[in-house]
Formats: sequence, C-alpha cells, structure tokens
Amino acid sequence: MQEATFLILTALADGSQHGYGIIAQVGEISGGRVRLRAGTLYTALDRLRADGLIGVDREEIVDGRLRRYYRLTPAGRKLLAAEAARLHAHATAALTRLNLAGGVA
Amino acid sequence: MTESERLERGYRRIVACYPRSFRRESEEEIVAVLMATAQPGQRRVSLAEYADLIRGALRMHRGPRLPRPLLVAVRLTYVGAAAELAVLTTLLMTLASLTSARIGSYPVISAAQWHAVLLGHLTAVAVGAPVLMALWAWMACANARGHPAGRVAFRVVHVIITLGVIAEVDPSLAQYGLGAAIAAAIMIQVQLAAIWLIFYPSADPLPYRPHRQLDAAQH
Repeated sequence: MQEATFLILTALADGSQHGYGIIAQVGEISGGRVRLRAGTLYTALDRLRADGLIGVDREEIVDGRLRRYYRLTPAGRKLLAAEAARLHAHATAALTRLNLAGGVA
Repeated sequence: MTESERLERGYRRIVACYPRSFRRESEEEIVAVLMATAQPGQRRVSLAEYADLIRGALRMHRGPRLPRPLLVAVRLTYVGAAAELAVLTTLLMTLASLTSARIGSYPVISAAQWHAVLLGHLTAVAVGAPVLMALWAWMACANARGHPAGRVAFRVVHVIITLGVIAEVDPSLAQYGLGAAIAAAIMIQVQLAAIWLIFYPSADPLPYRPHRQLDAAQH
C-alpha cells in the first residue's frame, strides 16, 4: 500500500471527511511531511472507491461549494487495520534490532 | 473578473482534461478543494498544481474504473484468450500431420473428410475464442457497473466453460495427448480464477456505485 493511500485511509478512520478535510488530516498525521494535492487525492479516492475501501457518506453545500464526505467501508477498515499491524510489526523489529546492535542513534 | 474567478477558471480549464464521467460527478468537488487549498492572493494555477492535475487526468484516462479483483479478472480473461490463440495456432500449424495421423488410424475415411472434420473443429475454436474473450470483458464491465445482466451472463458463461471442458476431451484431439490436457487444464484454471475474482467479495460484488450511494444519502 502506498503511503498516500495509507494516510488517506487513516484520515478517515475516526469519521467521515470531505476532500479538504482529508488533505488537512493527512498533513496533521504526517507531521506536515506529506502535503497531498487535489489531483493526487482524487486519483486515490477514485481508486479506493472502485476497490470498495471507501464510500460516499453525504454531501453538503457550504458557501456555494460542494462538499462530499467520504467514509471507510468495513473492507477499508479491515485493510487499514491489517496494514497498520504490518507496519507496526516491521517498525518494532527494526527498533529491536537497532537496540541489539548498540542502541538507537 | 476578480482574481478568485480567474484562478477558478484556470483550475476548470485543467479539470476539463479529466474523463467526462469524473467531471460530471466530481468537477465541482475538486474545484472546491483546489480553491480551498490555494494560497492567499494566488492569481493563477501554480506549476506544481498543473503537473499534479495533469498527472491525475492521465491516470484516470489510462485505467478503467473497475474494482481491482475485476481488473485482475479481465487480465486473466486475456490470458485465457491468449492461451486459446496459442492452441489455435498449434492446431493450424500441425493440421497436416494430424490429418495424416488420423488417416493412419482410420483408413476408411479419406484425407479430405478428415481435413473437413478437423477444419470444422478449428472453425468453432476460431469463432469461439474471440466471442468468449469479448463476453468476459463485457461481463467484467457489466458487473463493475452493477448491471444485473452481468450476473445472467455469468451463468451463461459458466455453462459455456463446462461445455468447453467437455470439448477438451474430444477424441479428435487425443493426438495431442498430454500437451492438450495441460493446455486445457491451464485454460480452465484461468477461467475459474476469473469467475472467482468477478464475484469477490461475494457479499458485495458491486462496491463502486457512486450514484446509488449518493441517491441513498439524499433520500
């Protein structure tokens, strides 16, 4: 799973978000390191919807602009949990080996 | 025209490069996000935004909007079609030796008769392969769009595959022995894998139904 995909799914883990909200959440989750652009975001959203990992929750018109809210589907939640566990296991293994080799720099 | 309107027009000009289906559904949404993420006082589309949007447009034009299992299923279908083409080519190339071998086994039937019988079989394969390939591709698309005909087609294709299995044990192909059996086994496995993928996940084979989801949300 690509990092942007992982971060988008993570942004939706605790509730539905609209496009701008996802960009803001991804920036926050990554500590400002990942700055999603609209083109990248909508390519990913299109793919994730096609794969059944996210769905449309609702729509709103705010200041004359359309806001479409996305939510994780059960399949998306399951995939995110599995990916998070996998990354966690890898990170734990890396840190353990670094410690064994003489401590983290 | 204000600076904001000029910027929005610039965004819309690039978004016009996206597929029509995407624009119909999401143009207003993506323009809203672009306007929200624009820098204060920004007058025109930045180079980075331009590159990002063009890349997104190219990706959406390149790939069909099918669920990944269906995409794999369609690719498997092409593999199956290629295997059928390989079988057809092999049959055509070895038609002469096959005919003479048949004549040796059944001297009562003339060479012309055997040739006609084998050609009849080959014609069926030659017509059937592209028809099956087109049917599989259409079925994948129909299922992806939630078209009920996709499921009906699946039943039909399932019968065709079963008949295909029976055809593979046709005694007229016995000359090819182990090779034909292996080729048939591979093709059947590929087709069965495609069937499984088309109906994966079985609980919700139609995950991409944006308009239905929106309709449901609005009512």
